[in-house]
Amino acid sequence: MSAQLAMPGTASAGPILEVDALTMRFGGLLAVDAVSFTARRGDITALIGPNGAGKTTVFNCITGFYRPTAGALRLHRDRGGVAELQRLKDHNIARAGVARTFQNIRLFPGMTALENLLIAQHVVLNAATGFGIGALLGLGGYRAAEAAAVGRATAWLRATGLIERADDPAGALPYGAQRRLEIARAMCTAPALLCLDEPAAGLNPRESEELATLLRAIRDGAAAEGAAPTSVLLIEHDMGIVMGISDHVVVLDHGKKIAEGPPIVVRNDRHVIAAYLGEDEEA
Amino acid sequence: MIARLGGAIRDAALATLVAFGLFVVMVGLRTDVAPGGELFLRQRWADVALLCALVFAGRLLVSLWGLRPHSLGQSPGRAALTAKLGTFFAPALLAFALVLPFVPGIGRYELDLGILVLTYVMLGWGLNIVVGLAGLLDLGYVAFYAVGAYSYALLAENFGFSFWICLPLAGILAAFWGILLGFPVLRLRGDYLAIVTLAFGEIIRIVLLNWTELTNGPNGMTGIPRPTFFGLPFSMSGEPDTFAGFFGLEPSPIHRVIFLYYLILVLALLTNWVTIRIRRQPIGRAWEALREDEIACRALGINVTATKLTAFALGAMFGGFAGAFFATRQGFISPESFTFIESAIILAIVVLGGMGSQIGVAVAAIVMIGGFELFRDLEEWRMLVFGAAMVVIMVLRPRGLVGSRTPSIALGERRAVSAAHVSEGKG
Repeated sequence: MSAQLAMPGTASAGPILEVDALTMRFGGLLAVDAVSFTARRGDITALIGPNGAGKTTVFNCITGFYRPTAGALRLHRDRGGVAELQRLKDHNIARAGVARTFQNIRLFPGMTALENLLIAQHVVLNAATGFGIGALLGLGGYRAAEAAAVGRATAWLRATGLIERADDPAGALPYGAQRRLEIARAMCTAPALLCLDEPAAGLNPRESEELATLLRAIRDGAAAEGAAPTSVLLIEHDMGIVMGISDHVVVLDHGKKIAEGPPIVVRNDRHVIAAYLGEDEEA
Repeated sequence: MIARLGGAIRDAALATLVAFGLFVVMVGLRTDVAPGGELFLRQRWADVALLCALVFAGRLLVSLWGLRPHSLGQSPGRAALTAKLGTFFAPALLAFALVLPFVPGIGRYELDLGILVLTYVMLGWGLNIVVGLAGLLDLGYVAFYAVGAYSYALLAENFGFSFWICLPLAGILAAFWGILLGFPVLRLRGDYLAIVTLAFGEIIRIVLLNWTELTNGPNGMTGIPRPTFFGLPFSMSGEPDTFAGFFGLEPSPIHRVIFLYYLILVLALLTNWVTIRIRRQPIGRAWEALREDEIACRALGINVTATKLTAFALGAMFGGFAGAFFATRQGFISPESFTFIESAIILAIVVLGGMGSQIGVAVAAIVMIGGFELFRDLEEWRMLVFGAAMVVIMVLRPRGLVGSRTPSIALGERRAVSAAHVSEGKG
């Protein structure tokens, strides 16, 4: 939970996600053009770029909301084995271990914070009910599973500082709390890769700092009790956050990858500066 | 307080002025025929004054007591009072339903009305699973009611199965049709889903109407076996193998009515029990999550199609049970009983009750079906009064009688979620 625990990304581990020549075409518009990059296990990988660069499109391909026109997305599972994400339906991508948040928060507003986190554990819980029949009759196996799920949800509510608001409807929480709740909800699916779409959008500087601390803790598995280290892929506009917490940065512009590397390298890259500042590239 | 009073008086005066302008021409002046045959203008200023006074008083009351949609149930004190009343209200209502047949003065007519109301309570609870919890707008719910009724009639007449065998079969068949319809339809959302379910309801009715060899078409099916009390028929003969004879009672036609009353009460309570249990299970939470945000559900690994299908199938199953009950109660069914207006009434019950609320739906069914009977004396004004009553309820409580939602689980005290946060669902 604290910043002191955060370690710099050790590059020893293998890849968690390989994006290989990903192309996405909407009719005549080429939104993503043969983008390839690798997110390593245990890293925070940032995907940045000016507006309309294709970041969210890449994101939606990874999380299954779009089906890519061409290319491959390979998720390396914890226990070995590779999931070809571009062949899976969206809910199966989530089951394969990719969790996401949304640019415009998508919580279940009429349900309490706790309920939101329990729905995130639906797949595990539903299997424990014997698909409804066991739970209807109140069999013991389900109660144990539900207690475990509530335990996990409570741990994440503590980690995100929302434990006091556990029984409040998600729609009644302040904006910053909703952002944190959405991250907690994604983490309750026990993902291998956490994908965050502009998690700092609309946060004040103090909240952004807390977010950075939280993300580092998530990467290191120190965020909540019983949490496993989780690789993170994020889209972000707030360069302070990106440069502060990322282990690896991928820069997109006009649907193409223009730079890749550690933050310090990317920050000084000629193409990146040109893309952001609109400077003439040939100059 | 003084400022509020002044504002209210000014508001009422303004309303009275508008009313005066209208009433002067509409009420104050009237052309009448004099005995001689010529027209003359009659002036009724006393009536105008009376009406204006009424408007003034009414408007003043409305602004002073805050009879407005957004002020009702908003103040914490009033909400707590409502909640406290609610905890006593449901058991009281249940107790009343249980003793109703033995209350003095309750005759055949009242019991028949009770059976009718309970049938709609059950249908409302069944549809509540689909519309209220899962947020899928189903305009063809009556189709499953029809499938249940015809399943019972056909199985009982052709194979001689007893009611207790036919009842689960009718439910299973209705659920099967629910799944069959659900597969192609549930990828549609919102208005499109509503239209297709509406069409499905009509298809079922028209098939029943035209498949004369099987269903006897518009003439309907007669001679459907009446229910027996676990093998003991209700008959007037008083033989030892009849209900009355076995229990040594005076044979009476009311026995069957009381039995039917308790039968539908048990069926409705079964629907309620299953719904309440499932709401606290993962699948029930997934239904509500689906109503709140379908895209977020997919991102959490929930199989949206399968989840919608379970809601559809379960809702259809209870519709099927109610249909089987309807068939055995009437002893006669025809496609005329399963028109679109039935679907509309059941949907109105769910919406009026507050989508997702069990007690709200029960009260709405009593109000809708019982109230309709209550206004019978008003003859041709019945529909008008009834319609106005519905409009008033929806103006005062736009999210139904019980718009708030009780969380399925809580770490501390379970507090109701206000209707402002709860989504209505977009299919």
